[in-house]
Amino acid sequence: MSRNDHLLTVEDLQKSYGDELVLDGIDFTMDAQDVQVLIGPSGSGKSTLLRCVNRLTEFEGGTISLDGEDVMAMDVNELRRQVGMVFQDFNLFAHLSARENVALGPRRVLGKSKAEANDRALDELERVGLADQADSYPAELSGGQKQRVGIARALAMDPKLMLFDEPTSALDPELIGEVLGVMRELADEGMTMLCVTHEMGFARQVATDIMFLEDGRLVEHGDPERLFTDPRHERTEQFLRRLTELHGGGSES
Amino acid sequence: MSAERERRHADLERGLTYAIGGAIWLWLCFRWLNSWLGGVVVGPTEPLVPQSFATATESLGATLGAVGDGVPLVATGFDLVGWAVGMVGFASQYGPQLAVAAWLTVVLTVISTLVGLVVAVPLAAARVYGRVTKYVAFVYIELIRGTPLVAQLFLLYYGAPFLSKFIREVPGVGQGIVPAQAVWIAIIGFVINSSAYQAEYIRGSVESVDPGQLTAARAVGLDKLGGIRYVVLPQALRYAIPSWTNELVYLIKYSSLAMFITVPEIFTQADSIGSETFAYTNAYVLAAGFYLVLVVTASYGMSKVEAEVAIPGVGSSDAGR
Ligand SMILES: Nc1ncnc2c1ncn2[C@@H]1O[C@H](COP(=O)(O)OP(=O)(O)OP(=O)(O)O)[C@@H](O)[C@H]1O
Ligand SMILES: [Mg+2]
Repeated sequence: MSRNDHLLTVEDLQKSYGDELVLDGIDFTMDAQDVQVLIGPSGSGKSTLLRCVNRLTEFEGGTISLDGEDVMAMDVNELRRQVGMVFQDFNLFAHLSARENVALGPRRVLGKSKAEANDRALDELERVGLADQADSYPAELSGGQKQRVGIARALAMDPKLMLFDEPTSALDPELIGEVLGVMRELADEGMTMLCVTHEMGFARQVATDIMFLEDGRLVEHGDPERLFTDPRHERTEQFLRRLTELHGGGSES
Repeated sequence: MSAERERRHADLERGLTYAIGGAIWLWLCFRWLNSWLGGVVVGPTEPLVPQSFATATESLGATLGAVGDGVPLVATGFDLVGWAVGMVGFASQYGPQLAVAAWLTVVLTVISTLVGLVVAVPLAAARVYGRVTKYVAFVYIELIRGTPLVAQLFLLYYGAPFLSKFIREVPGVGQGIVPAQAVWIAIIGFVINSSAYQAEYIRGSVESVDPGQLTAARAVGLDKLGGIRYVVLPQALRYAIPSWTNELVYLIKYSSLAMFITVPEIFTQADSIGSETFAYTNAYVLAAGFYLVLVVTASYGMSKVEAEVAIPGVGSSDAGR
């Protein structure tokens, strides 16, 4: 299959920090509307992999292409415009209201007028169920609301692909559901998503494929049912068992 | 009940502060206007109250000061009271001269801090985010902060004759309300000096902005400069306000160093009043009063600005929301 058929192609990706090889020959592809979940122990390189995709981190070896275009050949800001990113600690702009957080990209990157950017921001906030909090500042929002603003901020750029880096792991348990709900809706609407998450209920129901990363290597991947019921590698099984013990199985949060 | 009384006290205090402050500033503005218009109401440095008032208070002060002479403590007390009464007369005579001089102090500090800020922001950004510029900024900041301000002023005034010559030839310098050449050199010196200090303050507050926000800005597609401009600096400048206020207060007082390069600001004027009247203490106390008014006004104004631009939900000014 030619790489041009995929929305995202990662081939033999290598990345090291100093002497430490953090990503060691990663290969995978994603098609439009795929929801790829990425799991793995702490330090296995999940965040690093995500950050290579939108070039927040430079990598030494291999290629990444988005829609058939080598990301290294793209203008980096254009690449980032096409790839939305949602962070574990939200990283909202503290001095801007929810609406202004979402409007900043359309206004300053896409060059829309203030009114247009505002309208767009309100639409996106509506989409994540926060229309009534448009004028609140980050410090006035709950964790779940902050993360939904974070998602709206990424969506306002019309991304082809959304990257989620543990979007719920900084949240109190009772706030996780509202964020996962928004993510599930996005998946239903056909958004292509690459998610680092250990929410196994979400992964089971929404993911088209789950990848298990360990020590910078892709140990195994497969569709959720297969991976949960019949993991091929000892390590995968152990990791999934530990996750299940911690997070109470594949039940919905 | 007691809360009610406390509130009334606070109201009274505020009212009194505004009344006194307002009266002082009204008088200052009158003196400045009067002097710019060439003394339309009274001579530019001529007092509003007659000379006889000053003479009267001074002799009253002398009389009071003489009371209880020979009795320990009592004598000292009356000396003080007598001096204070005499001081009123002194202030009425020489206040106008200092008021005119205070204008220069205001010009010096306001222009210097504002232009200094414009220079300081890129310096601070370079210091934090620059690759090569980082070192350039570092050397500039440390060189300026590591040498005395007086030396910097001397170097500019005496050591750079081409600068004086250039400024003197700019049309309008020293005419009307446009300050003379020495003032401009003082401003240049203060800008250089203050920009280095301000850059350090702003660097601190730039570093206190969570770097994740800059990452988020870049992930949206802003370049680094855009992220700094739209995300980091708006927060860093807010956080820098308290230390920036400090710098403003310092500069108001340090502007007296302009005396060494002949700028007739408050301290210069007080010095010449002292040598004219031999009442050096009175002259310096009066000068201190002028500095105090400027400093208190500056801190009060900046605290208003700080509250005005505070981010909802962040910081002490809006705690608990
Ligand atoms: N900026 C950096 N400089 C040096 N080493 C780094 C840097 N960022 C990450 N690393 C190292 O790279 C490895 C992978 O880190 P990464 O953050 O990608 O892991 P992760 O799978 O996301 O872990 P976690 O679940 O804790 O978020 C770790 O060993 C980490 O110490
Ligand atoms: Mg991580």
